[in-house]
Amino acid sequence: MKELSLNILDVAENSVKAGASLTQILLTEQDDTLTIEIVDDGCGMSADVVRSVTDPFYTTRTTRKVGLGIPLLKLACEQTGGNLAISSVTQEEDPVNHGTHVTATFHTDHIDFTPLGDVSSSILTLIQGHPERDFLFRHQIDGNVVELDTRNLREVLEDVPLNSYDVMEWVRGYLQEQYETLSEDSVHSGEE
Amino acid sequence: MKVKELPAHGFEPLALPDGEREIDGVYIGDLLSWVMGRAQMDNAWITIMTNVNVIAVASLADTSCVILAEGVEMPADLVETALEKDINVLRSTQPIYETAIQLAGLIS
Repeated sequence: MKELSLNILDVAENSVKAGASLTQILLTEQDDTLTIEIVDDGCGMSADVVRSVTDPFYTTRTTRKVGLGIPLLKLACEQTGGNLAISSVTQEEDPVNHGTHVTATFHTDHIDFTPLGDVSSSILTLIQGHPERDFLFRHQIDGNVVELDTRNLREVLEDVPLNSYDVMEWVRGYLQEQYETLSEDSVHSGEE
Repeated sequence: MKVKELPAHGFEPLALPDGEREIDGVYIGDLLSWVMGRAQMDNAWITIMTNVNVIAVASLADTSCVILAEGVEMPADLVETALEKDINVLRSTQPIYETAIQLAGLIS
């Protein structure tokens, strides 16, 4: 995919399909490394399934015989000299602490690094499509943080659905504002 | 023209499980997710990528064959996967542009 944000959307949709009530999307940019973590509390996968999800001919879909979400993410990180790791605990193994943790590491200074793209749009798409689920988004860039936690929103909004137009517009603005503050900070520190 | 006719024109067959397929047009691309949505059925697909996802994309897009340009090496286990999934793979030592021109001459 031309932007990693689309890969993120794809993997997070898998978390939703796995029944996750909370899906965390954690991005960490430090020096020349970008780490993308998608952590959910869904039903988890057995060790066999974990091994096979990087195989494009494995898919949970029944409509086609090929699934490329994880394989393409793996390719995108390996192209930069990074790697992809998946760990998972099934509901049968641990009825309380189950779920899947996908970690993708990229070397951002590699010429084949795919740009991160518009992550805010991916987050908005997730909330729009699954207003009954919770998402924690945290993007750390050299120690600064952009964050959105739908659990906090839900507490304030009470019965207002998260995917109502006004809420979505607010979230869009909220993320945009945080990113703008970040880039102002980096401009200022650059001038010093 | 049929895929099985390509070896006579200098294309090296790496896997030809379905040589009877007709080539209709050519698509060129290396960004697999991009190719997946744009390559047309029966296209010959020219790429320099050689990982298992290439076979998956060729299968999804239903291209008639994959043509590896620039003489890139294909891992042996991928040949096996291609045969297993009925995906034709051939190789050209020519760069991408020259490969495309040669194909254009052959299929017109």
